[in-house]
Amino acid sequence: MSARRQASARRIQGPQSALTDFLATHNISAQQIRLDAEARRRAALNDQPDAGSQQEDQTSLSIATPVVADALAPSTGPRRAVADREDKRKKEQKVIEKIKASKKFQKRKRNLDDSEDEDDLALALFQQSAAPLPGQMENCAVCAKRFTVTPYSRSAPDGGLLCNPCGKELDQENVAPKKKPKRVSGGAVGRRRQVASKILDGTYRLGAKGLMTLCIETLAKNIDLAEDLGDLPQHIIDKIARKLSKHRLLDSRTLSLFLQPTADRVYIYDGARLTSSDFIRIFQTVPTLKKLKVRNGIHFKDEVMDYLASRSIDLEELYLHGANLLSESKWKEYLARKGQSLRSLRVYWTDKHFGDEVLAVLETSCPSLERLKVSHNQQVSAQGINEIAKLKSLKHLSLDLRNQVHPDGYVSMLGKIGAELETLSLSRVLDVDNTVLDAIHNKCRVLQKLRITDSDMVTDDGFTRLFEEWPNQGLVFVDLEKCRQLDSAQPRDNPNNIGFCSNAFKALMAHSGRTLKHLNLHGCRHISRAAFEEVFGEDKIYPELQKLEISFCEEVTDFIVGSAFRSCPNLRSLNVFGCMKVKDVQVPRGKILVGVPNAVGMVIAGTHDDDE
Amino acid sequence: MASKYITLISGDGYEFVVLREAAMISPTITGMLRNQFAEAKTGRCLFPEINGVILGKVVEYFNYYHKNRDKEDVLDMEIPVDLCLVLIEVADFFGLDEQQS
Repeated sequence: MSARRQASARRIQGPQSALTDFLATHNISAQQIRLDAEARRRAALNDQPDAGSQQEDQTSLSIATPVVADALAPSTGPRRAVADREDKRKKEQKVIEKIKASKKFQKRKRNLDDSEDEDDLALALFQQSAAPLPGQMENCAVCAKRFTVTPYSRSAPDGGLLCNPCGKELDQENVAPKKKPKRVSGGAVGRRRQVASKILDGTYRLGAKGLMTLCIETLAKNIDLAEDLGDLPQHIIDKIARKLSKHRLLDSRTLSLFLQPTADRVYIYDGARLTSSDFIRIFQTVPTLKKLKVRNGIHFKDEVMDYLASRSIDLEELYLHGANLLSESKWKEYLARKGQSLRSLRVYWTDKHFGDEVLAVLETSCPSLERLKVSHNQQVSAQGINEIAKLKSLKHLSLDLRNQVHPDGYVSMLGKIGAELETLSLSRVLDVDNTVLDAIHNKCRVLQKLRITDSDMVTDDGFTRLFEEWPNQGLVFVDLEKCRQLDSAQPRDNPNNIGFCSNAFKALMAHSGRTLKHLNLHGCRHISRAAFEEVFGEDKIYPELQKLEISFCEEVTDFIVGSAFRSCPNLRSLNVFGCMKVKDVQVPRGKILVGVPNAVGMVIAGTHDDDE
Repeated sequence: MASKYITLISGDGYEFVVLREAAMISPTITGMLRNQFAEAKTGRCLFPEINGVILGKVVEYFNYYHKNRDKEDVLDMEIPVDLCLVLIEVADFFGLDEQQS
């Protein structure tokens, strides 16, 4: 049959296309190709198991009439299949021989000597060329269904192509392709941001971290491997606890690492993940507990307080933050039973359940209370202030109340307990006025830390009177944030000198300049340039000052910032947010200037050597 | 004038020669090299309760710290997880804490 075809191909049959002519010169027949393709298509149809025998009968050499086709099909099937296979094999052989004769094959053959290799190569080339092109129909190698070949069709492991569903199955069977490894954070940008954040936190330093810090960070990353911290010293355990809390890693399991039966203190910096039973476990494990600090102790509930009161633990320090499920009656009960030993009581964010009634219990039940802090409290009122005034043993008082108390309340309180106070912190007291300042002047003698914030009633004269000829030792910590005039009608003028202004600033520095370590004048915007220049004058030295905050003091200039760095040799960081006249300052090495609004960034870590 | 280098000797006999300036970040070593202690004369400090592996890590840290002393954005040194707890103790012994250094 093929010989006949060959012969017919050689016959001249009228005009030929250029391609056919060209192929003919290379001994390739276009007709042959067409016939081959038809034969392949036919063969493919025959291979299809249930494609309908009628179709087969029409296209192939039919022996029977359509009527008997069904009956005959089983008997003719195998015979025809054998004949077809024979035919196919012959054709393959022919093409392979053609390939063997081709130039491409000759070229590649040169590298091989063996005749078997030669055959393999020829077969490979044949299979390569025989693979159906995209767009053609092909039978799937697995399910034998007919499908259209696309560039995306997968090849079966043992030759042939796969239809789309089978290809997908194959993909799933194969190991899922590896995902790109996640980029490790802390790259250039991340680290830079971290540095900026550290500067704002005041924990920034040049150079490498301490070995201890590095180890603790590694430990915190692998805390799930730790069984026991061994007998590390208390201060190291505390550091680890802080680090873990920072990453919210303190839970029921890791809590046990920090419970040492012989310890006298348990500081939990983040108890958000601890349950009531965890808190009870603290008291079970550490019977010698004296100092307890719990931040975010949401589940420090009545039952925990009950348990604590029932044990033989007598706390000296209690610091509770966010325990707003504790009821007022439970507070009173606990203080009545265990208040005797209490020296320090600090309560933060407890909404309404820590109020005047609890403070009223303190006088009788806590005779040795030295430190009292009530912060973010919505319940304590003027009545509570009167109760605090009865606590003769108090040395440190810190209040941040939501209820505004009339200044008279503070005045009478200072009259009673002011003489002993070392710390007086009144945050967000909008109504505090000069009478309170005068009371401080008249009563306080051992004050070290003073905070009065957000008051727009106090005046420059009031502060000046407070600091001038005050027989109190020098203050160490002063925070007068936002003590300034607030009048939207006349935002610029301050005819009555409301707030902490120039004279008060001079008086404060004259009184406490030598001892001050921390000074916050955030938003005291009526301090004049002359006052700053005088305070940070050439002959003035403030040896202790480490942290100075003069943000939103509008008159601060480059010169004042430079003078401040010179006058305060131990200054570590200076905040100048919103000081628009600060433009280009040279910051001495090791010092930090925060908040300059320029392109260099919010933070300038000094690298300039000050040997001018 | 004493040598620029000092020798740290571990309990199991390993000796590490370190730049004196680098080792001086540890207040403990500074203390040993001050005054007229034997260590100050010979420049050899013996740490009988610290083994070679740990001391080697500490020496590595001295050099790492010294190299990065004035740089910003310092890459953290790798700490092997299994040595972590022992190193914490040793770091405490050498006073390699941030507040102190």
